Amino acid sequence: MIKFQNVTKTYNHHNALSGINLDVRHGEFISLVGLSGAGKTTLFKLIIGEERIDGGQILIDDVDITQVKKSDLPYLRRKIGMVFQDIKLLPKRTAYENIAFAMEVCGHRIDKIHKEVPKILELVGLMHKKDSFPHEMSGGEKQRVAIARALSHRPVLLLADEPTGNLDEVNAAEVLDLLMKINKLGTTVILATHDAGLVNKVKKRVITIEAGKITLEQEKGKYKL
Amino acid sequence: MLDSISFLRIIKTGLTNFGRNLWLSFAASMVMTTTLVIFATLFLLFALTNYSLKTIQSTVDISVYFKIGLAEEQINNIKNDIQQDSRVKEISYVSATQAFEEFKTRHQDDPLITQSLNELTENPLPATLHVKTNLLEDYPAIAEILQSDKYKDFVDKVNFEDNRVVIERLNKILKFIVTFGLGLVAVFAIIAILVIYNTITLTIYNRKEEVEIMRLVGATNWYIRGPFLAEGVLYSLLAVAVSGLLLFPVFSKIIPKITDYVNPQLNFYGHNFFNYWYLLLSLLVLALVLSTVSTFFAIRKYLKI
Repeated sequence: MIKFQNVTKTYNHHNALSGINLDVRHGEFISLVGLSGAGKTTLFKLIIGEERIDGGQILIDDVDITQVKKSDLPYLRRKIGMVFQDIKLLPKRTAYENIAFAMEVCGHRIDKIHKEVPKILELVGLMHKKDSFPHEMSGGEKQRVAIARALSHRPVLLLADEPTGNLDEVNAAEVLDLLMKINKLGTTVILATHDAGLVNKVKKRVITIEAGKITLEQEKGKYKL
Repeated sequence: MLDSISFLRIIKTGLTNFGRNLWLSFAASMVMTTTLVIFATLFLLFALTNYSLKTIQSTVDISVYFKIGLAEEQINNIKNDIQQDSRVKEISYVSATQAFEEFKTRHQDDPLITQSLNELTENPLPATLHVKTNLLEDYPAIAEILQSDKYKDFVDKVNFEDNRVVIERLNKILKFIVTFGLGLVAVFAIIAILVIYNTITLTIYNRKEEVEIMRLVGATNWYIRGPFLAEGVLYSLLAVAVSGLLLFPVFSKIIPKITDYVNPQLNFYGHNFFNYWYLLLSLLVLALVLSTVSTFFAIRKYLKI
């Protein structure tokens, strides 16, 4: 599904990523493990086309994303959902409205939005919170709304960048369970984290990245750093 | 590119942006209004002066009065002579008989004059040539030629000075309006651009989070830019509406009075310069250009897409 071939990314003569070779298959759940600054976020930015690579090639479903025009990037991003450590919900909108907003700005019809949003809220288990504002929800709930938002375009790939970074154990477990559930329903998930407990709980493919290089690849692996 | 749903949503968001900073939006629109009203006023002044000038210019000519009893052939020779000059636009000839007949017709209701005319044995009126030049500046030179020794024996009197002082004054006013007016409009246009630029920049800043999320969830670039452009267009529309209201009394009350004074025979409203809707359309174009320029620069500098 995604192929990294000898990918290099440099910021100010500093190699953020070098010689990355990676093959992500459809329906996989990958834990991308590494300390802060190891290059996890850069990897994600390359996938959604926010940053351009300096060497190598990235193929998403056989499309070379370095060849994607800037004006076509939004359409690529609709196929890839993304969630962040800082969640990024709109504070003045309810859970429902936050998800609806994402669909609105991509040009979905209002009747489709009213049909889809409750389904997604149901999926993330937050139907009862649909009219709550972000400040009325727990960290885990907010992150689940963010995941719901990322799912609103039915993406084939979900990138989660330290989604539990600001959450306590209980909330983190909730979020992880949700990610695994989504993966079971068919969406490929890449989870970037440095939370050992989380990774060990998943027991799926683990890729360890250190100083911009992949240092370890394990099928059904554990957190090792 | 954009479907109708997205278009409507962009307009709606633009309106929301406008409403969120209501006072700032209002101030931006008012600065734009001031610019438009100044522009319109100067434009009207220019048009009025220009029109007056044209009206007066069309009445200017050189009248050449020939000596009484001069042979028509002789006059024709002089006429042909003058016609050779490239500066001359047209020459009309009024013979002594014609002049006499015209004089009679003009005064036919006055018994005293009619009676005196009947007593005359000889036509007291001279034959006349009316000369018009292409350019106003050429009148003195042509008049001088007609007054020269060459024609001294035939020409009795050359008359042209009448309206030149007025015309020169009007010309000066016109030049002043153009230079001063353009300067003033330019200054206000720059102020309007800066104020709108700042307002849009503030909106971009206020909506930073929304823009970031829009980008991440895959909103197209035009969908993200659209509301800011719409906001700029709204400032323009409001400014044009207010300017239109302010200028309406000028059109319905003041201009008719001035034009009647200048030349009651001419229908000024037939002229595009004095058409209210035409002017409003020009103001709209000007406003849209100003707001789009400033929005464009604000977006380019501050909107990260």
